[in-house]
Amino acid sequence: MSASLTVTRIGHACQLIEIGGIRVLTDPWFTQTATYYQGEPVASTVESLGRVDALVVTHEHYDHCDLDALVAGGFDLGTPLIGPGTVAAIARDKGFRDVRVVEAWEAATVGDLTVTATPGEHGVHEVTFVIQAGGRTVFFGGDSLRVPELDTIPERFGPVDLAILPTNGLCIRPMDLRQVVMDAEEAAGLTAALKPTLAVPHHYAFHSGRLGDRMITKGDQDPRHYADAVARLAPEIDVRLVLPGTVVTVP
Amino acid sequence: MTKLPTAGTLRPARTETHTLDPVEVTVQDRDRTRPFLLLHGGGGVATMAGFADLLAERTHSRVLLPTHPGFSGTPKAEELTNVVELAKAYVALLEELDLTDVTVVGNSFGGWLAAEIALLESPRVSGAVIVDGVGIEVEGHAPTDVRGLSLAEIQSYSWHDPSKAPVAPAGGAGPSPDIAALIGYTGPVMADPTLAKRLGGLDLPVHVIWGESDGIVTPDYGRAFAAAIPLSKFTLLPRTGHLPQVETPEELLGALLDLGGEGERA
Repeated sequence: MSASLTVTRIGHACQLIEIGGIRVLTDPWFTQTATYYQGEPVASTVESLGRVDALVVTHEHYDHCDLDALVAGGFDLGTPLIGPGTVAAIARDKGFRDVRVVEAWEAATVGDLTVTATPGEHGVHEVTFVIQAGGRTVFFGGDSLRVPELDTIPERFGPVDLAILPTNGLCIRPMDLRQVVMDAEEAAGLTAALKPTLAVPHHYAFHSGRLGDRMITKGDQDPRHYADAVARLAPEIDVRLVLPGTVVTVP
Repeated sequence: MTKLPTAGTLRPARTETHTLDPVEVTVQDRDRTRPFLLLHGGGGVATMAGFADLLAERTHSRVLLPTHPGFSGTPKAEELTNVVELAKAYVALLEELDLTDVTVVGNSFGGWLAAEIALLESPRVSGAVIVDGVGIEVEGHAPTDVRGLSLAEIQSYSWHDPSKAPVAPAGGAGPSPDIAALIGYTGPVMADPTLAKRLGGLDLPVHVIWGESDGIVTPDYGRAFAAAIPLSKFTLLPRTGHLPQVETPEELLGALLDLGGEGERA
């Protein structure tokens, strides 16, 4: 019998994934700046997170790698932190003592937990993750573009229980509107390939402030576009649009 | 390590109990509107009040329009000796009001003030709009010195079509810059030779909007203002002079809202 699996979105791409008794925190972001807003409540402070067994970080952008907030909040810096080399260098500099570097298709283990980096593509170097324990498999898509190799995950890892994907198709205006995150349609295509039991979108409520939304970023803030696209491409897959703080149990 | 504010703490949800005798109601109040702080130029608050109405009505936003201390005969604290000190006072005002995602919009001297507010790096200010601003030094494009000019001369520099200038009420001199109040902040030179260089380190988005017929500070001066700011956009308004919010307010509003190719979703 496989372990219980729940996911609680803390905010943006920060998720608390619990497999059996193992608690994994993804892409931490707990503060805000003049041009970075979650656009939704953040469901936990660093102090009230409780025990975290592993921290996984896809890339070093502030809204995914707010390690300063973890340090300021008294987070246990002995917690294993798993991420690509670009993140590892920053994490060590911030005082994290157990940093595991993984690049695409490399794995790290923490007790019964296995975290395998899978390919990613973004404005900077990024990986995504397959997170496994207790017979359960979770795909965590960070804020990557859709990368073709990700379609092979079920072949390599077996059935996926939960897929967490970005959906806002974020474009960077000063870079001639270069797209750096998969959009709802692309995320739905990947979902159809991964065939998870449950899919949860994230990374859509974020905004850059009034002027920043017009001059820095352009993103789709409506998660229904993803749910609609999945309903069209893979109607058998269950999609949950989740407010921060809601505990979602994956059957 | 930079200590950033915890998400949500700058503009917390408030719970208040209101007594509507004999009824008491407890209300949770969450406010995520995007406020504007409008900053007038030397002509005083009257040059901005009409646009404040337009902006608030069309965007359904909260619009704050302070009278700079010392203008319109208002008291001015001795500590307010320069533009940066006034900028600090306005950031303190935003703190006092618990506002975030504030867009600061300033015309002429107010544009300089908007730039100084942006440079203070308050997490409450998410962007600035500089409309025919002054304050930087641009070689070969010195602002027109209005001191000693007649009202008619000032109007010829300030308006694309001087016949559109507001008519002075009977017996009054009509709107004209309050030079004494201005100099109280800017000093007699009315520019800061360090401003352009300091703007080079700014990482906020700034929209620079200029009247094509501005004879006080020319469009080339405006282009230099935008070029001094890394994350800036420059918009030229046709048939418009130094005071777009008075001469072509709908065009100024359109420029504010059209930026990025998306309508205001208020």
